[in-house]
Amino acid sequence: MSSQPNVLEKVIAFVDERVGLKTLQAKMLNEPVPGGSRWAYIFGSVLLFVFIMQAVTGILLMFYYVPSADHAYASTQYIIHEVDYGWFLLSYHFWGSSAMVVMVFAHMSQVFLWGAYKSPREMIWLVGLALFGIVMGFGFTGYLLPWDQRAYWATTVGVEIMDKTPIVGDFMARFLKGGATPGQMTLSRFFVIHVMILPAALMGLAGLHIFLFRKAGPAGPFRGTPEELKAKTDYFFPRQIWKDMVAMGAVFATICSLAFIEPVVLLEEATPDPGEYHPEPEWYFLFLFQLLRLKIFSGEFGQFLGAIAIPGAFMALLAALPFIDRSPERNIFKRPVALIGWIVVMATILIFTVSAIINREFLD
Amino acid sequence: MTDQPTQMSSVKLGLAVAWPAFWTGMPIKIVLVLLLLAMGQHPWEFPGLAFLLLLSIPVDIWAVGLSGRTVLLERLGVEPPDSLGLTLWWQGAALYATYGSLACFLERQTIAGSKAVVARILDLELLKAIPIAERISIELTAWGSIAAVVLLALTLGGLFLFGKLVQRQADAASPTAASYEARIHQWDLMRVPADQPLMLTVVMAVGVTMVLLLWAVMPVTTPHPHESYKQDEKKAVPMLKPTDALQKAERVLTQAEASVQTLEEKAKKSKGKAPTTQDKKAAAKQKKA
Repeated sequence: MSSQPNVLEKVIAFVDERVGLKTLQAKMLNEPVPGGSRWAYIFGSVLLFVFIMQAVTGILLMFYYVPSADHAYASTQYIIHEVDYGWFLLSYHFWGSSAMVVMVFAHMSQVFLWGAYKSPREMIWLVGLALFGIVMGFGFTGYLLPWDQRAYWATTVGVEIMDKTPIVGDFMARFLKGGATPGQMTLSRFFVIHVMILPAALMGLAGLHIFLFRKAGPAGPFRGTPEELKAKTDYFFPRQIWKDMVAMGAVFATICSLAFIEPVVLLEEATPDPGEYHPEPEWYFLFLFQLLRLKIFSGEFGQFLGAIAIPGAFMALLAALPFIDRSPERNIFKRPVALIGWIVVMATILIFTVSAIINREFLD
Repeated sequence: MTDQPTQMSSVKLGLAVAWPAFWTGMPIKIVLVLLLLAMGQHPWEFPGLAFLLLLSIPVDIWAVGLSGRTVLLERLGVEPPDSLGLTLWWQGAALYATYGSLACFLERQTIAGSKAVVARILDLELLKAIPIAERISIELTAWGSIAAVVLLALTLGGLFLFGKLVQRQADAASPTAASYEARIHQWDLMRVPADQPLMLTVVMAVGVTMVLLLWAVMPVTTPHPHESYKQDEKKAVPMLKPTDALQKAERVLTQAEASVQTLEEKAKKSKGKAPTTQDKKAAAKQKKA
C-alpha cells in the first residue's frame, strides 16, 4: 500500500499549514461539556440554524420581491401564486420568524433557570439580550414588507407605540415612517433595516456571543456531585452535536409543517383606511397589545406606562440581573424568587396573549 | 453516593421515563407528519391519522425502551430486561386508553364547569361594570387556574401509575454490581452503535431520501390559493417545429414579393397621370411609416 497522501489530503494539508484548520477544528469540536451533553443545551445552536435558514429563504424571496409601495403587494402575490415553490418559501420564512422568537424565549429561559448568566458569564447574558432585541426588530420590520392591511396597520400601531418613548420617541417614529403616514419611505427604510442593518448586527453580535461563550466555557448542570459531573463530562463532538442536529431537524420539520398547515395568505392591499380590519400586531406582541387595552393603561400617561415604562423597566431589570443576583447558587429550586418570577412572567404573557385572541370576538 | 442506586418515587420514575421518551420519538413523528402534509394528507384526518398512529408504534416502543433502559441502569442500578421497550409500551398504551380517557373526560368537565361558574360570578350586578378587556383576562385566569391545577393533579396521577409499571420492571430485573462510572460507560455503549460509520451513512442516506421525497411530493404552486387572486390562465404555447416555421416564413416572403410586384406595376401604369386621392393617402401613409 502506498503511504503517499492523495490529492484531498494534500489540499487539506496546504490549507491547514496556512490557516491552522486542525487546531481550529479541535478548538471547535473538542470543547468539554461538564456533566455531558443535554437536550437543554440545544437552543443556541437551533437559533443559529433558524437564522441561517431565514437568511437563505430571505435571499431567495428577494429575487422576486420589489420593495416599493406600488409593487410590494403585487410582487408578494406573485411569489405566492406564480413562482415555483414560492408559497412554501414565503410561508417557511414567515413561520421561521416565529420559530426564532420561540427559540429566543426558550434559550433565555434555559439560561435564566440554569443560573448561567451569573459570574463569569455576565457579558454573554448582556450580548444575548441585545440579540433578543434584534430578533424582535426582525419580526417588526419584516411584518410590513408584504404591504397588505395587516402589515400596514401593525406597523402603524407599532410606530405609534414607539412615538410615546420620551426624548427619542418622536425622532424614531419620524425616522421610521419618513412622512406623516406610512408610505414608500417607510417601506424602503423597513426593508433596508430588515435585510441590511439587522442581519449585519445579528451576525456581529452572534459571533461575539459565541466567542464569549467559548471563553467562559459551558456552565454545566446546576446540580450533581463533582463525581457525577466528572463521570458524565463529554466533548462537544459528537454527542452534543448529534443532539443539536436532531433538534435542528425537528425544528425544520415543524416549520415546514406549519407552512403547509397555515401558509401565508395576504389580506387586501394596504390603504390608509383600515375599513373593517382591526389592527393587530404579530402574535408575539399580542400580550403587550392586550395589556394596553386595560383601563389602567388608558390615556396618554397610561399608554406610556404600559407600552414604554413597564417593558423598558423589565428589560433594564434583565440587563442588571447578573449584577443584582450575585449569589453563586445556580440550582433553580434553591432560588425561589427567580423561579416564581419566571412563572409569573410566562403566565402573564400566556394569559394576555390568549386574552387578545378571545378579545377578537368582541371587536365587531 | 452515586455508586448506590437512587431511590425514586413512582411519580419521579414515571417522569424520568415518559418525558425523555416523548421527546425522543417526537422528531421522527414530526418528519412523518411533514411527509403526510406534503402528500396532501392531513395527519389528523382518517387515512393520514391511521397511518401516523401505525408508524408511531415502533417509534414509541424504541423511544420508551431507550429512556427506560437509561433510567434502570443509571438511576436504579439494575440490568434492564431485553423486552423493556415493548412491555412498557403495551402497558403504557393500556394505561393511556383507560386512565387517559378518564383524565380527558374529567379535564373537559372541569373546564366546562369552571367556565360556567366564573361567568356566573362575573355576571353579578356588582361586577357587571368591569370593562371587557379586564373581564376576559379575569375569566381566563380564574377558570384557567382551576383547569391547570386539575390537569396537574391528573398528570401526576398518570405519572404515578406509569412509574409503578416501571418499578415493576425494575423489581423483576437483576441488580448490577458495576460502579457508577462503569454503568455510565455501559449505558453509553448501549446507545452508540458498534459500527459508527455505517450508522452515520444510514442516517445520512435516510436524511437525503427524506429531503428528496419532500421536494418530490410538495406542490409546486400554492395548495391554498387566495380567493381574490386571479391567476392568469396560461395558454398552451404550441411547440415550435423548425421546418413548419421555415415554410411559413417562405410563404410570407412570397406573398410580400407578389404584393411589391403588383405595386410596382401599378406605379408604372400611373406614370404621368395626376395623383388620385387614394395615391395621396398611400403616399402620406408611406411618409408616416
